[in-house]
Amino acid sequence: MSEAGGRLPRGRHGLSRETVVSSQRGRLQAAAVEVIAARGFDVATVADVLEVAGVGRETFYELFDDKRDCMLAAHAELVDELEACLREAYLGEAPWPHRVRHSVAAALGFFSARPPAARFMLIELFAIGPPARERFHEGYNRFVALFEEGLDAETRAGAGPVQAAKLAVGAVAARTYEEVLVGRAAELPRLTDELTYELVVPFLGEDAAREAASS
Amino acid sequence: MIAAMVAACAEQSYAETTIADVVAGAHVSRTTFYREFADKRACFDAAVAAAIAELSEAAKAELDAERAPAAQVRAATAAMLELMARRPQLAQLLVGEAVAVEPATVDRHREILLPSVAAIWREAGADGATHCDPVTAFGRVQLLIFERVAAGEAERLPELLPEVVYLATGPFAGHEAAIAEARACAEDAATATAVAVATAGAQR
Repeated sequence: MSEAGGRLPRGRHGLSRETVVSSQRGRLQAAAVEVIAARGFDVATVADVLEVAGVGRETFYELFDDKRDCMLAAHAELVDELEACLREAYLGEAPWPHRVRHSVAAALGFFSARPPAARFMLIELFAIGPPARERFHEGYNRFVALFEEGLDAETRAGAGPVQAAKLAVGAVAARTYEEVLVGRAAELPRLTDELTYELVVPFLGEDAAREAASS
Repeated sequence: MIAAMVAACAEQSYAETTIADVVAGAHVSRTTFYREFADKRACFDAAVAAAIAELSEAAKAELDAERAPAAQVRAATAAMLELMARRPQLAQLLVGEAVAVEPATVDRHREILLPSVAAIWREAGADGATHCDPVTAFGRVQLLIFERVAAGEAERLPELLPEVVYLATGPFAGHEAAIAEARACAEDAATATAVAVATAGAQR
């Protein structure tokens, strides 16, 4: 998502209406992330979002039904970005434990680079009630599916009948949530070793997990 | 009134729930509400405390010092998952709304649960060292449960038994023991399903 500062030049600029709308949408979503992370979903207002985005109220309501709708759109885009980032880090030719470590580092890097996005995705989302539950469930299972996609049959067999991909995604999400809650998103990358160990251990055992964590 | 609060929070969210919803759901007057609770939050906190107590009771009923620690952990875990499967609103309250409203309320749940799990393993002669952080393991269990509840599949919570047992064993007895326990749970569940299928087939 573009930063809220990416405004287009004023006046005549020859840009298509589509480009303008897309830029406005991006700015509004980025502003919603910033404002909601800073003030909380309940307190943040559409006016706050408009001010940060530098977009008019009329445009906002052309693009979104309300604050919640804008939040859900911003959330969907962030989940897409995170998935693309993890896909890049995780799927490839390197040995599986290395790929796990890369992906853990990528996920923690994603959140630590943008603490407001981390707070928005992991904490504020749940302030909106039932629609958040569905979003969470969908997002969670997308990452479980991605984790499974990069597993070969032999590694998969190591965990036996335990749903270790679910455990893996849960480990990263739960640990990240704890840190973001206490305002330590920026320090997340220090958890790379610990989480790599947690993700690898159900599949390959303690020795291999220690090795992966320190590689 | 506590039951009405639990129901309202599951249907909408805590933020959207009003005292009017609670008094209507409980068929009591506003005066009665305010005699018991100072405000909406006080009623919510009481509901969370009651839910934690109910889950703890269900788990405690399964503890028996005569049995192996793994068997106790497994039975207590199964009892909690089954209770939440029967009462999805309770699960939504504890792993969903309570976390969203005030994460600290959940700390109380952890503070009751973790020492008793640790004690089971300690009495069994586990070295008392922690292999990985039990606080994190607790958070991971909550998240797994929340994911099922968020999917509207709370009735299938007992299927998470192997994963939850893994997380409840690992911090205290290490990975090898945890994965062995989790496998045992999964295999027993598979056997039970096979027996049920065979029995159903035989009856036909």
